[in-house]
Formats: sequence, structure tokens, C-alpha cells
Amino acid sequence: MPPMNGTFCVTVMKDRCINTKMPGKCATCVEVCPYDVFGIDGAGSVYVQNYNACVGCRICAEFCPDDAIRINPAESEFLVRSPWTFPQVEEIHYKAQTGEYMLRGFGTMGHAPSFDNITVVPSQIASAAPLDKYREECNLEVVIGEDTCENPIRLRYPLIFPAMSFGALSKEARMSLAIGAAQTGILSNTGEGGLLKDETWLIKGYENEERTLKRWEPGGYLVVQWSTGRWGVSADFVRAGDGVEIKIGQGAKPGMGGHLLGAKVNEEIAAVRGIPVGSDALSPCRYYDVQDLEDMKRTVAFLRDVTDYKVPIFFKLGPSRPYADVKACVEAGADAISIDGLVGGTGCSPAVVTQGVGIPTVALIPPAVQALKDMGVHRRVKLFVLGGMRSGLDAYKAMAMGADGVGFGAAAEIAMGCRACMSCHTGRCPYGITSQDPELRARLDPVEGGRRLANFIKATAEEVKMLTMLSGHNDISDLSEEDLRAMDLNTAAITGLKLVGYERRLPWWEDERNELNVG
Amino acid sequence: MSLAVDASGRDLRSVSIELKEAVAKGPVVIHGAAYLHGLFAGFKKGEVIIEGDSGDYLGVLNDGATIRITGNAGRYLADNMTGGTVIVEGDAGYGVGQYCYGGTIVVKGNAGDFTAVMNKGATIIIEGNVGDEVATYMLAGDLVIVGDAGKNLGNYLIRGNIYVGGKWESLGHNTLLEEMTQADLVRLRGYFDEYGIKADPMIFKKIVRLSEKPFYKAKEPIQLECPRV
Ligand SMILES: Cc1cc2nc3c(=O)[nH]c(=O)nc-3n(C[C@H](O)[C@H](O)[C@H](O)COP(=O)(O)O)c2cc1C
Ligand code: SF4
Ligand code: SF4
Repeated sequence: MPPMNGTFCVTVMKDRCINTKMPGKCATCVEVCPYDVFGIDGAGSVYVQNYNACVGCRICAEFCPDDAIRINPAESEFLVRSPWTFPQVEEIHYKAQTGEYMLRGFGTMGHAPSFDNITVVPSQIASAAPLDKYREECNLEVVIGEDTCENPIRLRYPLIFPAMSFGALSKEARMSLAIGAAQTGILSNTGEGGLLKDETWLIKGYENEERTLKRWEPGGYLVVQWSTGRWGVSADFVRAGDGVEIKIGQGAKPGMGGHLLGAKVNEEIAAVRGIPVGSDALSPCRYYDVQDLEDMKRTVAFLRDVTDYKVPIFFKLGPSRPYADVKACVEAGADAISIDGLVGGTGCSPAVVTQGVGIPTVALIPPAVQALKDMGVHRRVKLFVLGGMRSGLDAYKAMAMGADGVGFGAAAEIAMGCRACMSCHTGRCPYGITSQDPELRARLDPVEGGRRLANFIKATAEEVKMLTMLSGHNDISDLSEEDLRAMDLNTAAITGLKLVGYERRLPWWEDERNELNVG
Repeated sequence: MSLAVDASGRDLRSVSIELKEAVAKGPVVIHGAAYLHGLFAGFKKGEVIIEGDSGDYLGVLNDGATIRITGNAGRYLADNMTGGTVIVEGDAGYGVGQYCYGGTIVVKGNAGDFTAVMNKGATIIIEGNVGDEVATYMLAGDLVIVGDAGKNLGNYLIRGNIYVGGKWESLGHNTLLEEMTQADLVRLRGYFDEYGIKADPMIFKKIVRLSEKPFYKAKEPIQLECPRV
């Protein structure tokens, strides 16, 4: 359930607090809290004035010079009758008070089937021997559009920064992503909020618009998103990309368009998107200018034409009917497909949609891969899996199941400093990542953010490499389902992986006649 | 003397390559374009005349070129245009001028449903009638309908003006009928003179948005009193 007023317990330990000892000497928590939880009284003493507004971002605790603040979940203090939890009670109060449903940032809460119950099978004596991570080579490169485009994208690692729009993200966060991608040779996607000019040179590793000062090697790739709201889209925008992504849906709100609340629409964003300052930008849920698959093919055709047949075309799918949807994307002419799962991240979505709509990421992969195989394009049309990816281990598992790479949305935010407080929709991100407030944005330095993102990607890529080699491969495209085992029946049932101990796939996955895995 | 390009039976790529070269030299006349979709996409300048009918997505992403169609236009005419001029002598299909940021579209005949949807700044003039759901979620620009409009005109209008010479079946949410001002009359007169349209600005009605922020109400944060810690 969403973060709720009163979900957290804020404690200032008086024995440590500098302000308690010397009123007026320190007010760090008052300054850093974006939700005005702390106040200063007439005598200069800090007090908790709005206990209920805390979202649990922990920036006060982090900045407190004397470690005097503790933020604990308040839920455990209450015993509530099943199936009620404290946030659910609060959610009803919210609706009763405002007459509106709840919005939420960041993503899904609670449990959904994940990669956790899958284990990696290492090499031993009976299989190809393991390879040596320290002294042997391993290919991690993924090439998109190799035989269809003049300028294919050569990702150094099988990892991407998926679409995260300027508007949902701050300018500084967008710049950090570009700098991070430039240092690692991967791609960053503009999302549906239009293009920031700075991104176009930062992504190539240049510090200046004239492109004379190159600071970051090897340079990355920028993919521009063509979406249902078409914010800031023009011929120049489409041509600014090293690839164009056609957004059909996303995991956090499949079947709905992008949400950008008025609170975040400042002058700069209003200018890029062409809307009034402070107005909500709610993208349509479908393309007004596409009515069927034929139209989608024509859209791909003119996008290729506008970009002179140089750059790859991506599709971005929400988690619905992966087999049929992936097939349709291939028919429409995709060079790569990103498919986002139930738990995919978001800047702002209706809470019930984020929480309860769509197929979990792990269950999307088998049908999506099957569709590519049935179309004869597996490993040629690249498949990127998004939604809840956290590490090289998750990435490895997705790739062994047949994906070509994975994307990190929330994980990238966390790498920039996010503490998963789930309040991105408020526009008050304490770390300046999903905020448009100049004071909060100043907390994120794009160069430092870029460095942290690059570090995260490099470390993650090392994990992928290590896992690939210990399972006896020197190329990520050689990974297969044989490198994985499901650790419980449920996971074996939904993925078709062999079950540990049983060492076989569950019988219905072996049945040629079944239609379970193609639907 | 303008160059001629025959598009009949050819694919978009080959026609497009030829067009790019031809347009750089001067005005171009295109024949046989009725079944070619996405033609003349994203040009910054140039002048073409389509002899006869055009396919869908003609002039998509147009960014400064001038396109004239002597026959009828297909669906999604000048989709996502940012600049330039598109003039259709006949009728235009579904979804004229969707997602445009700028430029001018003039249709001498009728236009279909979902015209000017999410228009963000273009001037779209339809001399005949338009269909249903026209100017849905329009964010800026002018839409001039000399004839009649169908159902749900201007649904969730955010900004911009809709001028209608005839009748409409129904108006959408967030619309407001506003008095025509002197400036409106001058503007319409200007459009009509420029594009040779015979109409009297005095009979036009103007539809604008009711509120710029129709979706979510501004909320007061919930503040509960709590004891001083
Ligand atoms: C702040 C934010 C903004 C996003 N904006 C877009 C967008 O504009 N278009 C889009 O297709 N997806 C958007 N997404 C979804 C991501 O592209 C991606 O699918 C998702 O974050 C992947 O899940 P993960 O966050 O669990 O890695 C956004 C996600 C976040 C967190
Ligand atoms: S909202 Fe963040 S900064 Fe404010 S009290 Fe809670 S944890 Fe601290
Ligand atoms: S991006 Fe910011 S607002 Fe969103 S969850 Fe992370 S810290 Fe909280």
C-alpha cells in the first residue's frame, strides 16, 4: 500500500541532538525535510511539528550531524484486524476525506512472483568447465539493429536505462543518466517528456554544446521515445536519437497513458511539453493516430524514413499478453522490444493500477521469448526485460531465460541516491531526483549522479560476467534455461524452468499440445 | 517548371530518396501517391503538390515544407506537424492535424472524426464539416470549422480556440462558449483572406476551455495537530 501519513515514527534523540543542547546552533533536519515535519519554535528549539507528514525518506537521519534522528515504520505499533493493515486503514481515510483515489510514485509494494526463487546452475565436471573471470574473456556486448540499420546501437553491456521522462525526473537526474550512460557505453531513454538539449551532448561524453571537451569515454546512446502524448516531439526530436522507441505501455500503468501532475510542471517542463505551467499532463492511453497493426507498421515506416533508415526502432510494452504482444511488435517492424512487468517503476500512477494490474516480470519472459522463437527472430530482435531488476543476478536470470538484456529504472534512481520513499508523485523528492523544486534539485549533482550510475552499471556488469563464466560461457548470448533451476513449484510452473531436485520441467511444459505457453 | 515524381506502385523508401533530391532543386509534383503512406515526412523546407489523392500520414512531422493536395487526403494528415503549410483541395480523412505543435492546415472540403486531437499550437482550418470528437484534449492553437461539427467537440480542451461557423451536435467537457472579440474577428478575417475562404467571421462562435486544470483538484495537504515532542 502507498506511503501514508503517519506510517512512520520520527524520533529525535534529545541526548544527541545539538539543537537541544544549544538551541539555534543546528536546524539541519528542518532544512532538509521536504515535508516540513520539523519546526523551530520561538526559542530556536527544533520540534516535530507534523509527525504525520513523514514519508520515510530518511534524508534527515542521513544529514543530521550527530545521528540524533530515528525513522521507524509505525505499523508495528498497531495490532489491526486481518486483513487490514495500517496503511490500508489510512488509505480509506484518505479517500473518505478527499473523494479521490490515491496516486503513488516509485512502484508496486509487497510481494509479487520474482526471480528470487530461481537459482543459477554453475559448471562442474559433467558440463563445460567454468571460465576464469580474472584471466579470460567474456562477451557482454549487445548489438541492436545490426542487419536493419545503418547505425546499429552497440551496447557495451546488456544493461539499459529505460524510459524515464523529464518531468517525472528532474533535469539533474536526466543529466546524470546521460553521463552514466556515456561512461559505460549503454543507452538512456528520454521517456515521453521530450528532450533536454544538454542530454544530446552529455550522452556522447561531451561536457559542452560545441562538443570540443570530451570528458567521458566511451560515450553512450540516446533513445527518444515516441509516445501517446507526444510531448515535445518534432522531426528534430526524432532525429536527435540513436534510436526511436514507440511506447505502447509500461508496467506500472498498463492500459493507461503517462501521468505528470501539475505540481511538477514548472516553466521549463511546460516549455518542453508545450502545456500551461502547473497543468496536469495526462497522456492518452492509446495512440489517436494508430487504429490497428497496419497503422503501426506505417508508423514504423515513416519513423524509419524520417531518420533516414539509420537508427533502430524499439517498442516498449506493458505486461499484458506477452506472446501476442511481442509477435505484433515484430510484425510491426521492431528491432528491439522492451517489456515491462507488473512491478515496474513509475513517476506517478494510480495506486490500484500499480499494485494490481499486469503480469509479473518473471512470468513475461517465457512467452515473450517463445514469440520471438516462433517468429524466427530470437536474438535478432532484441528483448529487454524491465520491472524490478536489481542486480547482475536478476539480469543473468532474465538473460538465461532468453532476454538479451535488462533495464534498471528504480535501481538507477536508487543509484542516484533515492531511498525508495515512494513519494515521487508529490514532486518533493528529498534527493532531487523526481522533484522540480530548485532547492531539492540542487541536492543532486549530475556529475556525481553520473559517476554513481556508472559505478552501479560497471559493478552489475561484472556480476553478469562472473555468473556467465562460472556457468561455463564466454558470451551472454549462449546463456540458456539450462543454466537455471526453479526452487519452488510455483516458479517452475510459471517459468517452465526445471525444478530443483526433480531436475525436469513440470510435465505440462513438456506437452507439445498445450497452448499454455503461447497465450 | 517543377520536377515530377511518379510514386505509383513504389515503396516509401525509394520515393523518399528521389523526393529529397528533387525538393532541394525546386517545387515537385507527385503523381500516384494515393497508396503511399507517410510520404513527405519531416521535411524542413520544400514545396510539393500531390496530384490527386494522398495516402495516410501525409506530411507527418512536417517542419516547414509546403504541401498541396489537389484531391482528397487520407487519414492522419500532417500528423505531429511542427511547422509549414498543408492545403487540401478536397476532403481529408480521420484525424487531421493530430498532435501538431505548429504550422497551418487548410482543408477545403470536410474532415473526419478526431481532427485536431491534442493540437498543441497549429492553425487548422476546415472549410466544410468535421466529424465527432474533434479537438479532444487540445492544448493550444486555433481550430476553425466553417461548417458543422459532430459530437463531443472540444472534449477536455485545455487551451486554444475553436471557432465554428455552423452548428455542433454536442460540446465536450471543460468547454465554454465565449463572446467573439474584435481580435477574434480580425484573426478569422486574416485566415479567410489568406486562404481564399468565403465566410463571414461575424457568424462564428468561439469555444474555449472552462478551466486550465480540469483533471485533479489542487489539494490541501492533510495536517493533523500533534503534540510537541
Ligand atoms: C520516474 C520514472 C519515470 C518513468 N517515465 C516513463 C516514461 O516516460 N515512459 C515509459 O515508457 N516508461 C516510463 N517509466 C517506466 C520505466 O521506463 C521502466 O519501465 C520501469 O521503471 C522499469 O521498472 P523498474 O523501475 O522496476 O526498473 C518511468 C519510470 C520511472 C521510475
Ligand atoms: S519525510 Fe524524510 S526528512 Fe522528513 S522527517 Fe520523514 S524521513 Fe525525515
Ligand atoms: S525518487 Fe525520490 S521521491 Fe521517489 S522514491 Fe526515491 S527518494 Fe522517494
